[in-house]
Amino acid sequence: MHERLSFYVKRNSVIHDLNPLTKVILTLALILIAFTSPWYWTPHLLVLVAIIPLSFIGKVAPEFFRTAIRIILPAAGFLFLMQAFFQPVGDTVIFKFYFLDVTQESLMFAFRNATRVIVMVSAFTFMLLTTHPSELMSDLTRRGLPGQFAYVIISTLQILPQMQAKAQTIISAQRSRGLDTESSFLKRMGSLSPLIGPLVFGSLAEVEERAIAIEARGFTSKKVKTSLHEIPDHSSDKIIRWGLVILVILSIALNLWPS
Amino acid sequence: MAFINLQNVTYKYPLTKTPVLQNINLQVNEGEFVAVIGPNGAGKSTLCYALAGFVPHFFKGEISGTIEVDGVESSKSTLDEWVLNVGLAFQNPFNQISGAKYTVFEEIAFGLENNGVPREEIRPRVEEAMKMTDISNLADRSPYSLSGGQQQRVALTSILVMKPKLLVLDEPTSQMDPIGTREVFGVVRRMAEGGMTVVMVEHKMEWIANFADRVIALKDGQILLEGKPNEVLTSDVLAENGFGISRYTSTAREAKKRGLWKKENLPVTLDEAVEGFKLG
Ligand SMILES: Nc1ncnc2c1ncn2[C@@H]1O[C@H](COP(=O)(O)OP(=O)(O)O)[C@@H](O)[C@H]1O
Ligand SMILES: [Mg+2]
Repeated sequence: MHERLSFYVKRNSVIHDLNPLTKVILTLALILIAFTSPWYWTPHLLVLVAIIPLSFIGKVAPEFFRTAIRIILPAAGFLFLMQAFFQPVGDTVIFKFYFLDVTQESLMFAFRNATRVIVMVSAFTFMLLTTHPSELMSDLTRRGLPGQFAYVIISTLQILPQMQAKAQTIISAQRSRGLDTESSFLKRMGSLSPLIGPLVFGSLAEVEERAIAIEARGFTSKKVKTSLHEIPDHSSDKIIRWGLVILVILSIALNLWPS
Repeated sequence: MAFINLQNVTYKYPLTKTPVLQNINLQVNEGEFVAVIGPNGAGKSTLCYALAGFVPHFFKGEISGTIEVDGVESSKSTLDEWVLNVGLAFQNPFNQISGAKYTVFEEIAFGLENNGVPREEIRPRVEEAMKMTDISNLADRSPYSLSGGQQQRVALTSILVMKPKLLVLDEPTSQMDPIGTREVFGVVRRMAEGGMTVVMVEHKMEWIANFADRVIALKDGQILLEGKPNEVLTSDVLAENGFGISRYTSTAREAKKRGLWKKENLPVTLDEAVEGFKLG
């Protein structure tokens, strides 16, 4: 069984000491700027001068790069290829691939979009790695977000690693009963279908039980919730949050500016 | 006045025709330890939900009769209020973990946070509860990294930390190995000895015979038998109605037919069986 079933990595860093909301806003700001800034190289620059250095400052670089190599880069690479080949823009043909023209414009377009997706996913990854899920939940509910809503967010963040662990358990169980999980891709896809039932229907019945379990502990109580840990919220947090909001507004304004 | 008082409780889940609880009358005194047994589908879990307020506050459907705990009637209360007095734990420990917490300590604090207990009080209360259930050493572990017995004790502690007056347990050991079972029963026994009122659905007859003050046998939503553990657990009625029976009871019943069991009462536990056969 995995010891760590949430993405969060407990470390001592200035990033860990930021207020959870500050990190949420940082994430959203990075994404919004990457998508709205009119300057072509903004997303690339965000990755190089913001997200990667932040992962070092937050002392989660190893975990960050592991996720990047396993999930983020393959997904972005796939997106890049699709768009480079199938985006019918421009006429500076660089090379032909059977009947597909790959133009300089489509390459540029695909490169930026793929990088935007990299910003989006890696900003989220960075936030999840450095933010304690239950502190995020307490902080958001303290700020007026309905508790049920916060719970949905938090438990979704936790459900992916949980599902992964469970899938692993089911796979081992099926394999021990002779299920083939190691031959060709297509054959595996076919033979993995017995997994889907237990994974999905198991989850549905479990949702009800979990709902009962958390209600039994007063989850829907109308009392003002308290929190075991003191959640940091310094004046520097407020400055950072407002700074980020201004940057986003600037980026959107520049985008809308008639040029 | 009984601490738990169920009067003519009849309940149907939504969209179903037959009632799952039929005309249940049950009185339990404060500090009593009551075990509930019954075959699959007898309505044991539903009875637990009714005691813990989830019927009718969480599961809708049709209910009649009255459910009273500590002088308060369930239908006149809310679930938020009710769970402060009545704690519920059930089979699968994994599903009782909130999914929102990172360590065992935080997991146990969850109920206190939800109910607005001041921060200064949370830490000592969690520590005290963990000591009671003997899991202080697990405080910094992830709840997901534990064994079934440990997880179930975390689930129990998460309820006990809220200081309920009534503890309702729905087959808390059914997914445990013998070690987990012993761990969980150890906690339950300590609670019962400390004077907490406990209602526990359980299949392990020997444990019931050792712990319970009273046994209730439920079948098809009705109370079939009720009484002292040894009387109920060795009754012929149970065997005829598809209940699980202790192997010592069934062995001695056969032996009695052949005149090899001389005592009046049939045994439930190994010790009682050994004792009886020695006489013969
Ligand atoms: N949520 C539900 N909706 C409809 N019927 C239910 C629901 N839960 C249980 N039942 C039915 O109620 C009956 C009693 O169930 P339950 O109380 O779980 O029995 P036990 O715990 O003794 O096995 C069963 O026939 C079951 O199918
Ligand atoms: Mg049941």
